[in-house]
Amino acid sequence: MQNLLKQNLLKIGAGLALALALGAPAMAQDTLTIGLLVPTTGSEATYGQDMANAANLAIAELNAAGGVLGKQLTSVVGDDACDAQQAVNAASKLASSGVVGIVGGYCSGATLPTLKIFGDAKLPMIIPAANSTKLIPENPGNVFMINSTGNDQVAKAIEYFTAHNIKSIAIVNQGDAYSQDLADLTKKNWEAAGMKVTSFETTNKGEQDYSSVVTSIKSGSPDAVFWTAYYADGGLLIRQLREQGYQGVIAVGDGSNSPELFKIAGPAAEGVIGFSNPTAEFLPDAKAFAEAYQKAYGTAPGPYSTLTYDATKLLAWAFTTAGSTDFDKVVATLQGANFTDTISGPISFTPEKTLARSNFVVLEGKGGAWTLPQ
Amino acid sequence: MPDLPSRPSSWGGLSAILDTPMKRGVAIVVILVSMAVAPLLFGQYATVILTNALLYVVLALGLNIVVGYAGLLDLGFAAFFAVGAYTVGIATLHFGLSFWLALPLAVVIAMLAGLIIGAPTLRLRSDYLAIVTLGFGEIVRLAARNLRETGGASGLSGIDSPWLFGWHIRTPLDFYYVFCVLAIIAVIVSVRLANSRLGRAWLYVRHDEDAAEAMGIDRVRVKLAAYVVGAVYGAVGGAFFAANLGAISPNSFSFQQSVLILMAVILGGMGKIPGVILGAFIVILAPELLRDFGDLRLFIFAVGLLLIMLFRPSGIWPARSRR
Amino acid sequence: MGFFEIFSQQLVNGIVLGSFYALVALGYTMVFGVVKLLNFAHGDLYMVGGFAGFLILSFLAPFIGPGWFGVAVSMVFAMIAVGILGVVIERVAYAPMLSAPRLSILITALAVSLVLQNGMLTITKGQYVPFGSALGFGGVNLGTLFISYNQMILVGVSLALMAGLEVFVSRTQYGRAMRAVSVDKDMSRLLGINVNRVIAGTFFLGTGLAAAAGTMAGAYYGSLWYFMGFLIGLKAFTAAVIGGIGSIPGAMLGGLILGLLESFGTQLPGVGSEWKDVFSFSVLILVLVFKPTGLLGKPEQERM
Repeated sequence: MQNLLKQNLLKIGAGLALALALGAPAMAQDTLTIGLLVPTTGSEATYGQDMANAANLAIAELNAAGGVLGKQLTSVVGDDACDAQQAVNAASKLASSGVVGIVGGYCSGATLPTLKIFGDAKLPMIIPAANSTKLIPENPGNVFMINSTGNDQVAKAIEYFTAHNIKSIAIVNQGDAYSQDLADLTKKNWEAAGMKVTSFETTNKGEQDYSSVVTSIKSGSPDAVFWTAYYADGGLLIRQLREQGYQGVIAVGDGSNSPELFKIAGPAAEGVIGFSNPTAEFLPDAKAFAEAYQKAYGTAPGPYSTLTYDATKLLAWAFTTAGSTDFDKVVATLQGANFTDTISGPISFTPEKTLARSNFVVLEGKGGAWTLPQ
Repeated sequence: MPDLPSRPSSWGGLSAILDTPMKRGVAIVVILVSMAVAPLLFGQYATVILTNALLYVVLALGLNIVVGYAGLLDLGFAAFFAVGAYTVGIATLHFGLSFWLALPLAVVIAMLAGLIIGAPTLRLRSDYLAIVTLGFGEIVRLAARNLRETGGASGLSGIDSPWLFGWHIRTPLDFYYVFCVLAIIAVIVSVRLANSRLGRAWLYVRHDEDAAEAMGIDRVRVKLAAYVVGAVYGAVGGAFFAANLGAISPNSFSFQQSVLILMAVILGGMGKIPGVILGAFIVILAPELLRDFGDLRLFIFAVGLLLIMLFRPSGIWPARSRR
Repeated sequence: MGFFEIFSQQLVNGIVLGSFYALVALGYTMVFGVVKLLNFAHGDLYMVGGFAGFLILSFLAPFIGPGWFGVAVSMVFAMIAVGILGVVIERVAYAPMLSAPRLSILITALAVSLVLQNGMLTITKGQYVPFGSALGFGGVNLGTLFISYNQMILVGVSLALMAGLEVFVSRTQYGRAMRAVSVDKDMSRLLGINVNRVIAGTFFLGTGLAAAAGTMAGAYYGSLWYFMGFLIGLKAFTAAVIGGIGSIPGAMLGGLILGLLESFGTQLPGVGSEWKDVFSFSVLILVLVFKPTGLLGKPEQERM
């Protein structure tokens, strides 16, 4: 009897302690805190960690130069684990913990429901990676996307294909929000241009055996195969395409722009074309950044580090230029920005708050790494 | 006559200290008051988390009916959750229905889904049943991913928040109270069901199907009823989930989701109502508190589940009559 | 590509895929035969086998190279190591549960599966791990049909393993004991058969086969993922059911049939590759509803 009573009191007490722990924000007054919404657990954790690193690097540099509005900057990470529900939890936590702005958003599907939360909390948000076109109509007016959207990527791809006399393509995606969106956009625009899509395939993440898809693709004899999803499975598909004797062009989207692609695909990836935002090794201004990143974190900067670095600096610049962290002033400043202190290129925004210029480039796989084609 | 398993009290482990109606009444009042007051004390983030926990209470109680009462190991419960959410999404976005019309529609479609999923499993042994329900769960998720009507892999977004007699249910606080009400209703219904003829029928069928049949219980109807009732819980949870989040995608309805709901039913121990509620809270609160552990969190859960199964198996589903 | 070329290529694809399914399905069916339990964690043992093979190969590669010989040796060690793991799991998690209600042991199996999966998730941080094998790209060209040496070796090794198992089960005393236990456990005990040892041995063999499949898959496809056991577990279960659960030739046949169904299935009009898994699951459900004993299985009397 006594034990049961104790047990239950303990349960109630634990519950209360839990609730208190959850509800207690702690924020110093003489700092400005930026919330970082990135996946630090789950399958995309390396991208998320890379983005957090880049943001913190920017913050360290800004602090060394005197901070923003006379205060030092700090950051706090909200882990969305590339899952919508977790993202909502993380976003709510960030929104109620006294941050002044948000940098983040990698998985489009997870980022989507958080836009409303940050909008309601009147927090400006800059998204350096997530670029599904589905984000655009859901923008409550506080979100700025600095990674060119799927529309820009498709335009780049079609430009490349038509310039290289490619008349028919097969499109393969992985059934997730990002790759399916890119695949659909490509199909729509390619067919609108009067060209042919010989097959439109969906694979499962982690499936490994693509032989029947490869055979299907081959049977349509497309001039090019366009893989719109991520590098891990893309590498396998490329290998199997070449093993089964496919000779045409293989192109990949920016989800596969990682150098890891070559480890998985091996020699089959030679000559693969990639569409991507410029990663650090291709940006003339990024050398100093890459060295600082290497020094601080012991690894080379990842694919979205330059954009996240720029996003953080953009946000800080907006605070400084607006003279305060007042929401309306900051948003107005961002909307009218023509920010050139970046490593990924000048940033200005369309009325939809997407990047005004396409920053997609064409890359080619040579000797086990991405290079700029001559 | 077969040895009838006695019905456990709805209060589970608490019935030892809450043994008079007076004490139980006080306990209920205390719980209700703390639920009403919690968000005001603990801020928005805690409110959001608690709302999640309440959603899981509803879902876990639904699965508890299928697994705990009727003994059917459903590994694809997220399918009903999905049906509720997507029906509301499609009905409000594509057909312009109001949420309050979409909700009963979601319930009806989920009941149909319960029949469709339940029917093939009626004669199956429990291992096969588990895999078949898993298969159905995956089929629903893949269909949601592939079809344009459900928005494909990006899902549906821009789902409007509902109005109720002039109250716009929009903020996290609004939804918190809504889910409080839903959870309370779910508990009351579960308690009523456990004490009803249907509840007893589930118990007998779970205990020994053939004997139950010999006693005149229609095995088919009883099992289907379990799926259908569970589906209703799932659909209601899903409908309000869609309205709350405003955007849904197939990722929320994966096998992992079904497993998480199952864990809520089992981890809190007992498969009885207070245990299930505790399980739902554990499953939601622990990740928030264990954020520093990252991926280790899932591993800890799994080990916890294994340990419970190894060291308290008879406490969860008593094979013979209980004390 | 003409119809015949597509057909023959998909045939080859189906046979290769089917070999993996068959190897994993065998483990399911064998374990089910002796303990009447669907080992939910079986697919994850395939995954662990793949990682074990990877680890062993990374130690041995400097000595014996990362080619087929290296992979084969690693595979043997992986089979033994993971086979032992299978026995440990059986002793620790399943044996104590055999007298508990059915649901409990099913959930225990699910818990074991989750422990393995999430453990590997934590270790690998959810990343794909390149296997590091170097198997070469050569092959044979029959017209436009291309069969790689790797594929031939793979199917050959699988067939050898399956043949070895069949010989073991039908010709040796141990195999006879296994068959006896799967027919009637209590009677076997009365006849003096050490039932616990037989069960342990069955787990060892079944898990070993899954581990072999995992290592070969890692070597052939080139990468490993913590979640790779989930899907193959379901597919292998489907294969075992199609062939008739409890029947060893049935598992092999079922694996082949499922592999072919999947390869050809996407050629059907209307069934695009995005519906491939829905197709497989539908086959599973239909078989279970209309012919639960599968093609070669024995009629199942009890309903538990």
